[in-house]
Amino acid sequence: MKTSIETNADQLIAHFEGRLDTAAAVQTTEDVKPLLNAANKEIVLDCTNLEYISSSGLRIFLAIRKEAAAKGSKVVVSNINADIRQVFMMTGFISLFEIK
Amino acid sequence: MLSRNKTFQKARGGLWILIVAAVVLEAISCIQYFTSRASIRNEAELRAKTELSRAELEIEKHTIEMETAAQLLAMLAERHVNNPDSIYSATRLIVGTIKNTSSVAVAYVPEYFPKKGWYFEVCSSRISSDSIYTRQIGSSAHDYTQMEWFLNGLKDANCLWSEPYLDDSGSQTYVVSCSCPVHGKNGEVVAVVCVDLSLDYLQQISEYLQIYKGSYYSIRSSKGEDIVAHPDTVAGQKYAIFAEDIEATGWTISIIIPDDVIYAELKRIGLIVSLLMLFGLVLLLFIIIRSAKNLINVVNLSNQQERMESELGIARSIQMAMLPTRFPPFDDYPNLAAYGVVIPAKEVGGDLFDFYIRENKLFFCIGDVSGKGVPASLVMAVTRSLFRSYTSYMDSPAQIVMQMNASLTDESNEQNMFVTLFLGILDLASGELRFCNAGHNAPIHLQSGQERCVVLHCVANLPLGVLAGFEYNGQAVSMNEGDTLFLYTDGLNEAENIGHEQFGDKRITECLTRSENEGPSEIIHTMQTEVATFVGDAQQSDDLTMFAFRLLNKSTINHQPSQIKTGHHSLVMRNDIQQIPTLAEWIDSLNLPQELNMPVNLALEEIVSNVMLYAYPENKSGQVLVEAETAPKRVVFTISDTGIPFDPTQQEEPDITLAAEDRQIGGLGIYLVRQLMDEIQYERKDNKNILTLIKNI
Repeated sequence: MKTSIETNADQLIAHFEGRLDTAAAVQTTEDVKPLLNAANKEIVLDCTNLEYISSSGLRIFLAIRKEAAAKGSKVVVSNINADIRQVFMMTGFISLFEIK
Repeated sequence: MLSRNKTFQKARGGLWILIVAAVVLEAISCIQYFTSRASIRNEAELRAKTELSRAELEIEKHTIEMETAAQLLAMLAERHVNNPDSIYSATRLIVGTIKNTSSVAVAYVPEYFPKKGWYFEVCSSRISSDSIYTRQIGSSAHDYTQMEWFLNGLKDANCLWSEPYLDDSGSQTYVVSCSCPVHGKNGEVVAVVCVDLSLDYLQQISEYLQIYKGSYYSIRSSKGEDIVAHPDTVAGQKYAIFAEDIEATGWTISIIIPDDVIYAELKRIGLIVSLLMLFGLVLLLFIIIRSAKNLINVVNLSNQQERMESELGIARSIQMAMLPTRFPPFDDYPNLAAYGVVIPAKEVGGDLFDFYIRENKLFFCIGDVSGKGVPASLVMAVTRSLFRSYTSYMDSPAQIVMQMNASLTDESNEQNMFVTLFLGILDLASGELRFCNAGHNAPIHLQSGQERCVVLHCVANLPLGVLAGFEYNGQAVSMNEGDTLFLYTDGLNEAENIGHEQFGDKRITECLTRSENEGPSEIIHTMQTEVATFVGDAQQSDDLTMFAFRLLNKSTINHQPSQIKTGHHSLVMRNDIQQIPTLAEWIDSLNLPQELNMPVNLALEEIVSNVMLYAYPENKSGQVLVEAETAPKRVVFTISDTGIPFDPTQQEEPDITLAAEDRQIGGLGIYLVRQLMDEIQYERKDNKNILTLIKNI
């Protein structure tokens, strides 16, 4: 699992690559900390290369979503694959995020 | 033990029968005894009464005769009342006429004839049948005036009978006397006539009153004196008395029969009946003992049979456990498919087949032990272990068969049982089949290229166990991809229908030709159905075994749609979150359908990470065992750990409709598992948390 964050003027883009499972969640939680501090920005979670997500990953997504709402930011999830979309559907996450 | 009790119960039942029979017989004989007793008594009474009437008549005949004689003599005496001497001839005349009297006398009142003195009594006595003695017997020594008969006569009544007395002057015997008065000119009683009847004679004429041997009779006067008594006493015995009164004389005739005498015959019959009854009961007892013994034997036999049957059942399950249950294709050897079946004729049979793969070679055999049942199955088990042990280090079929023959012909084979065996080794890479046939049915080679069935040519070798040291010849044949080898025992070709027609080789090859392009299990199932239809209701006479394998095309393998194979898989993980990625790899190796990959991955990861986070306290070492049972229709996963009790199914479900601000961070994992899997069950057993997940396909 690899996470990289791209910072633009009013946008923060997190690129996830690989499997976001329980084992990877610890590191990913560290990696996404910059996103939690951003205020009044658009946060994009780029899932183009995200193969898999488990509940640990969903928690990270939810934490980002909560923090962003508190700080006036907006979260967009982009390019999720069919499997992840299915998980989002099952968990109701599909309505928590703007999906692109 | 139970059946022993049953036997005793039956024996006790027999004893009851005996007792009831004894009681019934006893009751019957009692009733018979008492009814017979009553009828015997009635009969005795009837007989007694008949004899009494007869005796009454007989005695009356005599008494009337005596009375008539007395009256006649009185008349004569009255006619010659003044001529005392004429009375001599008168008494003499009467004794001479009345044969049954012992003596007669005419006694005058004292001094009636002054010339004759104070006493004058003329008496005629019978001395013998033709001699009569007549004389005057009155004297002071014989003072007749005080005698009863004389006093009776003075009463001026005709024909009074005296009590018995000893006639001391006349006959010198005991007599009874009949008296009649003789009147003078003025009507006064001047003399008394006396006619004696001897008691001896009375007894003589009433002898027939002794109607039983041991019974008694008596004639008594009105005053109770015994006139006739025979025998004298009946004291101390129970008896029955029957009596008849004779009106004229006032006598009573009695017949006395002691009970012992009346019922003597009944007692005799009773004794015979009792003996017969005793004999019958002894016979019955004997029969009951015999049948109880038989019953014990039957019970023992049935116990033995039950035990044998249960042992046969065990033997059968042991034998079945020796037969292969998992058949290729295996993951390691995807180009081989195989299948086999044994249908024993009895509970346990003597057929066998076995195979295993070692060093990319298929070692297989099929065999038939002579005979059936337990002995054959034992030899079958030995043969199988010999196959396993010799093939484990040898790879020449002929050499292996020779070794097996050596083991089966040693002195341990006292039963002289032999085994036909086909043993082969197939090189899965080259398709070369080396084999050795020890007298078994030649297998059939289905050649896919030429689309035909060929009976494998086999050299004639002896069956195993026949001849020690026999040189077995090995052979070789090449199998191409797609070829199938079909092996069977004679239970197939010799299967008979009700008309004793055999299934035969022709039907086998026809069936094989039809199912040429099918896999081994389909071929065998088809054959099984055909032979079952052919045999119908006939009883299976021999064990039937079939074994087939097919060398699969490489191309066939690749083009076949991936199918989930039945199997068991497991993964052991340390208690470390970082182990999670190995789970994904393991799931990949299960070759599940693509669409199951993500759901299975997610569900297993959620469960395993839950275990690691909650069941095991932090940093505590432990293991998580993940197992999968795959079947065509579903996969069953079992996740078990030895951590503290933790039931994830008890976790609260999250509300997924809440807004992001209100959503809880936790609880999603188990929620997802519920969504992804079809069944989820938790169990705490043997200090383990066991979670079972089922996913239908």
